[in-house]
Amino acid sequence: MNEENFDPKQSLLLIESMINRAKDKFAEDGSMYLLWGWVVFVCSLTQFVLMHFFKYPYHYIVWFASWIVVIYQVVYIRKKIKQRRVRTYTGYILGYVWLTFVIVIFLLAFLIGRLTEGDYYNHISPILLTIYGIPIFLSGIILRFKPLVIGGIGCWILAIAAMLIGNYDYQFLLIPLAMIIAWIIPGYLLRAKYKLQSQ
Amino acid sequence: MFKDLDPILHSQLRLAVMSLLISVKEAEFTFLKEKTNATAGNLSVQIQKLKEAGYIDVVKQFKDNYPQTICKITPTGVKAFDVYVKNLQTYLAK
Repeated sequence: MNEENFDPKQSLLLIESMINRAKDKFAEDGSMYLLWGWVVFVCSLTQFVLMHFFKYPYHYIVWFASWIVVIYQVVYIRKKIKQRRVRTYTGYILGYVWLTFVIVIFLLAFLIGRLTEGDYYNHISPILLTIYGIPIFLSGIILRFKPLVIGGIGCWILAIAAMLIGNYDYQFLLIPLAMIIAWIIPGYLLRAKYKLQSQ
Repeated sequence: MFKDLDPILHSQLRLAVMSLLISVKEAEFTFLKEKTNATAGNLSVQIQKLKEAGYIDVVKQFKDNYPQTICKITPTGVKAFDVYVKNLQTYLAK
């Protein structure tokens, strides 16, 4: 680029092209949506089978598998941060949306037993579905990606459905269903979009 | 000719850097170099000028034993950029 004087029209064109260049990468490849979507899908379905068909009292044990995924994710995020050369506002806000979600889920895990005086089984599915919808819906809005917006709304519809179903075991089946519509399908669509632009 | 335009911003490479930085939260030197197609030497000089004007913040640190330079626009820089664009518009409206 030369340093000689250039006219206002060229200035505006330059500003416009640089702003577009800064934004031209769609950075979300969907891998975390897919990873968590499948993990929660498999765990919740396994838990349902253990609980409903085998009447196994420690059915929640399957969730210990998710700790391995948490460790993997921490390593993955650290690697991503190391490779990162630019920090966009979108990425920054999204990071906090997901952090809020993680905090709420952990808080809920501690609080729900107390708040419902041990009767949490009948409330957990609608509450979880309501919360699952929040980061998905917001991610869809921030990334301007419709499948995630629809997925988020889908979670909230399933939360109402869970309340109407009433029976705990069957209510529980809505969680793997929510994973398919809100995490897994949008995850594959995100990945397809990401691959298309990296070509 | 364009004497009302901020001379710090009315230079192709500096304006390019400011336009990139106004769109993101922060960016590494290598990112700016790639997007502007400038040489490292020229880019360093222009970044230094923007820094001296108080338009950007420059943080130098080490990442895995390699030096890393992170640039970020300041509120003064945002304001100057805004005024510059407004002045451009008045020129174009003439």
